[in-house]
Amino acid sequence: MTTREMISTGNELAALAAIDAGCKFFGGYPLTPSSEIMHSLSDMLPEVGGVAIQMEDEIASVCSVIGAAMSGKRALTATSGPGLSLKAENLGLAQMAEVPIVCIDVMRGGPSTGLPTRVAQGDVSQAKHPSHGDYKSITICAGSLAECYTQTARAFNLADRFMQPVFVLLDETLGHMHGRAVIPTAEQTYNEIKGRKQFDGKPEEYFPYGVAQDEPAILNTMFKGYRYHFTGLHHDKHGFPTEEMNTCKLLIERLFNKVEAHEDELEAYEEYMLEDADVMIVAYGSVSLAVKEAIRHLRKENIKVGLFRPITLWPSPAIKIKEYTDKIPKILCVELNMGQYFHEIQRVSSRLDIEGLFKVNGRPISPHEIVDKVKEL
Amino acid sequence: MSLLKAPVDTPVWIDLSRCKACDICVSVCPAGVLSMRQEPSSTLGAIIDIVHPESCIGCTDCELHCPDFAIHVADKKQDGFIFAKITSEAEERAIAIKKNNYKLPQNYDK
Amino acid sequence: MAFDYSNYLRMEKMPTLWCWGCGDGVILKAVIRAIDKMGWKQDDVCVVSGIGCSGRFSSYVDFNTIHTTHGRTVAYATGVKLANPDKHVICVAGDGDALAIGGNHTIHGCRRNIDLNMIVINNFIYGLTNSQTSPTTPRGMWTVSQKAGNIDPTFNACDLALGAGASFVGRETVIDPKKLERLLVKGFSHKGFSFMEVLSNCHINLGRKNKMASAMENLDWIDSITMGKMKFEKLEEKDKMNFLPTGVLKEDNESKEYCEMYKEIQDVHQGKRAKITQNDFDKKI
Repeated sequence: MTTREMISTGNELAALAAIDAGCKFFGGYPLTPSSEIMHSLSDMLPEVGGVAIQMEDEIASVCSVIGAAMSGKRALTATSGPGLSLKAENLGLAQMAEVPIVCIDVMRGGPSTGLPTRVAQGDVSQAKHPSHGDYKSITICAGSLAECYTQTARAFNLADRFMQPVFVLLDETLGHMHGRAVIPTAEQTYNEIKGRKQFDGKPEEYFPYGVAQDEPAILNTMFKGYRYHFTGLHHDKHGFPTEEMNTCKLLIERLFNKVEAHEDELEAYEEYMLEDADVMIVAYGSVSLAVKEAIRHLRKENIKVGLFRPITLWPSPAIKIKEYTDKIPKILCVELNMGQYFHEIQRVSSRLDIEGLFKVNGRPISPHEIVDKVKEL
Repeated sequence: MSLLKAPVDTPVWIDLSRCKACDICVSVCPAGVLSMRQEPSSTLGAIIDIVHPESCIGCTDCELHCPDFAIHVADKKQDGFIFAKITSEAEERAIAIKKNNYKLPQNYDK
Repeated sequence: MAFDYSNYLRMEKMPTLWCWGCGDGVILKAVIRAIDKMGWKQDDVCVVSGIGCSGRFSSYVDFNTIHTTHGRTVAYATGVKLANPDKHVICVAGDGDALAIGGNHTIHGCRRNIDLNMIVINNFIYGLTNSQTSPTTPRGMWTVSQKAGNIDPTFNACDLALGAGASFVGRETVIDPKKLERLLVKGFSHKGFSFMEVLSNCHINLGRKNKMASAMENLDWIDSITMGKMKFEKLEEKDKMNFLPTGVLKEDNESKEYCEMYKEIQDVHQGKRAKITQNDFDKKI
């Protein structure tokens, strides 16, 4: 048996995935609607010899997680929109120093304090550019209860593969939704763990950041005989700060290139009834559940609608999207924000006639609203 | 604790490449052993000089206070060096050096 | 003496970028001597530093080193320590890093009593960024962000640490490197949060426009505002505000250290002990 059936909430499934994927450190701060992840891990992590700590603020949370990850542990933090904003500077350091962490964002109504207990998808743009400077983001979005588990587990492997923060976007609906999910067994998840690369040669020959232009840094676990330096400054192959022109240029280019050269490893999306579609709906997260229901309604009335659901939001599955937008006459983006992925679809497709159904009052979009909108097109 | 081996018969020695001419060692030396001297190639135009090594009492204040690993004092045990005792002549010279902007006054002792 | 520091230094990074006469170099040497006295293996030590001149500390020493964002040393160090409780973690931060932007993290590090060794290098100014006011810059001094004269009242860093509940608090200066080394050894040996303030000279930034442009003048000023804690206690109350006592100001070996307490939590969840209750603690509020 490689799967099991569970009845749980999205937040608890995400926490379970972290445990099964070998996470040994959690640093967090209470922030609705993500707090349940912290509550679950505060019980589950010490049980497996790990550490879960509630820090004094959002910034301290991500810093403690980055510190633990620097020392070699798989580490997780969980937050919502306001917390992600606070973590911005240090997410930049994790990106710059190539530290693998997983950051779950259970999105809620924003901006600012917004609607703490209500759903939104307003952090999609923020996850693309969470920090100042140039940032190549890896962001994945769970679109079902089961994906709250599978995508969180996948995020740890991606973080270790690409040596940078990976964002897992949930939303309040999924985070709090209690239902049935068929997920991999703990053993299956454990067997799929792919940890970060390690260097096992002589310490004098170890250059953590001296890697090929399409490869991530190789950062050995601390305290094992390989001593090196982490910094947020531009750095050379040792990790020491430098301002040398060429080194700086190559460093930033490599931070982008290590992802861009291997986008095939990151791509993940769902194509639902798109083979004969005249209308393509682009949606992600909990909205995709309503969209699928709407599609079932519309198909009964012979309206040929399909769903393209990106699972890895950033980098976006541009080639696949363009394949569809080049041939499908009508495109509709359905989002719980003012069109944050809509703009990406416009950019990728070069079409100015993309339609949008945007809802920003903290309520989920019902299948009826989507059916009505499609009929209007 | 590992120690540097002192050169033969040397109570105190310097690494000129490290000296930033901050004057601190000269000002803490109680025995007038050290002085700054002019050095056109140095950033501040001066560099450390050992002018009276025979007066060195081995107090190690210079080594402890140097921020830049530029000056080292022999170890009584490891190097077996026998340091001098402080004399009033050495103390007076130390004061004269400090008063003269950390430089041994010209024609001193002549 | 001729202490050989080269084993503990990244020699390819020498000379340091610090100004001539900067106390940071004296502190660097004292820390190395203290670690050497402790007998710690280099592989078991992690040095976490902040932003500022003192922040460059970590790149010079041959340990596992982290150069963090401004003010967050204690937060990063907490993650490293909790994930590796048997290793030795040293934080090095300046007065601005630890008390301004990092104030909250410093306070909570003290409160938690986690076994970190926090060295706050207080040179009474923001040095690296050229003379802005820090929470310890004396009032009336010239700073680039208050050229009419600083009006900001100051923190007493050690009082802050004491108030926040640190179990080991001490203060020394770069004027007596041997005393400094002894304080560091005591702090490193202490099991719990060790807060060690080290007064240092920044004659290039603070001193230059405040009538102490040479290292010695700045050091003389530090000498004039400090005194041993025994002598300090004998001062009249009204005179105390102009002096900072040096020495070990608090040493509490009774309070439980955070990582040890966390082991109890692990034991509870692994069924090895009953739940923690108020009865486990003498201090109930």
